[in-house]
Amino acid sequence: MRVTEDQLKKWMLEGLDGDASSHARLLRELVPILRGFYKRTMTDGHAIEDLVQETLIAVHTRRMSFDRTRLFKAWLFAVARYKMIDHFRRERQTCPIDDLEDLLASESFEDAANARMDVDRLLADLPDKQSLLIRKTRMEGQSVAEVAGETGFGESDVKVSVHLGLKALAARILGERR
Amino acid sequence: MNFDTLIDSLASDLKPVPRHAVGRRLLLGMAGGGAVTLLLISIILGVRSDLGLAMRGFAFWMKWAYTISLGIGAVALVARLARPEPIRLIGFWPVTIPFALLAALAVTELAHVPSSDWFAMWLGASWKKCPWLVLMLSAPIFAGLLWSFRRLAPTRLRVAGAAAGLSAGAWAATLYCLHCPEVSALFVLTWYTLGILLAAGAGAWIGPRLLRW
Repeated sequence: MRVTEDQLKKWMLEGLDGDASSHARLLRELVPILRGFYKRTMTDGHAIEDLVQETLIAVHTRRMSFDRTRLFKAWLFAVARYKMIDHFRRERQTCPIDDLEDLLASESFEDAANARMDVDRLLADLPDKQSLLIRKTRMEGQSVAEVAGETGFGESDVKVSVHLGLKALAARILGERR
Repeated sequence: MNFDTLIDSLASDLKPVPRHAVGRRLLLGMAGGGAVTLLLISIILGVRSDLGLAMRGFAFWMKWAYTISLGIGAVALVARLARPEPIRLIGFWPVTIPFALLAALAVTELAHVPSSDWFAMWLGASWKKCPWLVLMLSAPIFAGLLWSFRRLAPTRLRVAGAAAGLSAGAWAATLYCLHCPEVSALFVLTWYTLGILLAAGAGAWIGPRLLRW
């Protein structure tokens, strides 16, 4: 490892105290570390990049769950491992096209169709760019790199748009429930 | 992939994280939910009219000691599960101490009451609705904890959901004491505990879905 635990933890603690440049520095240094972590168990390059991105976002939004008295890397890899498990769980849920007939024949198809209509209605409220990118990455199962290539947006632009769009959707759904 | 844009946008809205941020966040979420629960109790159920008098008696404090100590233990468990570190659940066995103490008290109580009255004492006047009210009143507090979890990193979602439900149930029961006039330890041991466990079960059931991140 090029960067030591002590250095990473120092940046993390400075970031927790509000130092934006230390925080950005930390996130930048985490990119190669996380890539290395995911490459040990995964081969799909696009999935790895997606996971690195998701983990960076999680490290940022959930940074208060870091215990200042503990090792930073232990926390980081726990987050990364959770993201990987969540990724595999999601992968299993996507349905290969060969099974489509079974799916259509099954009773749950109607529920699925209704759910799809709800999703369509919700997505219609988002800006076109966000809804398009969410559709492609989260519903059609394309990787961020594929979508970026197809639509001409930058990869991080795609990620950020999807992230913001999902956030807006979540806020809207919670608002509807309330 | 180039992550610079993302990292810059993440770092640009950086706010300092105070010490004990996890505890504060959990407290804030539960206080918000607890306020709603309190409102529901005062509007729908009504605070018991003899509350001032009851607070000078033993039964009220017996109930509060039980639900509050259970609530504190459950929150400690939630706080621990909010961090993505491995956890040995067996270390949290003290969470069950309040139950054991109340059970001992219930046995003493039985010894002092003629056995012909045991059944009436056990069922009280409200055994049918007590567990369900505790379960329903725990919902706002559970929702508050879900809000807290949005900045936290639980990795064992079912256990975290159960702990959040346990905590919400115990604190909902604490507030429910402001309404409930029951005085028997045996009643509290059975029906309050049942309501709290229902809340924990509901939390374990929906935890994996609602706590995903």
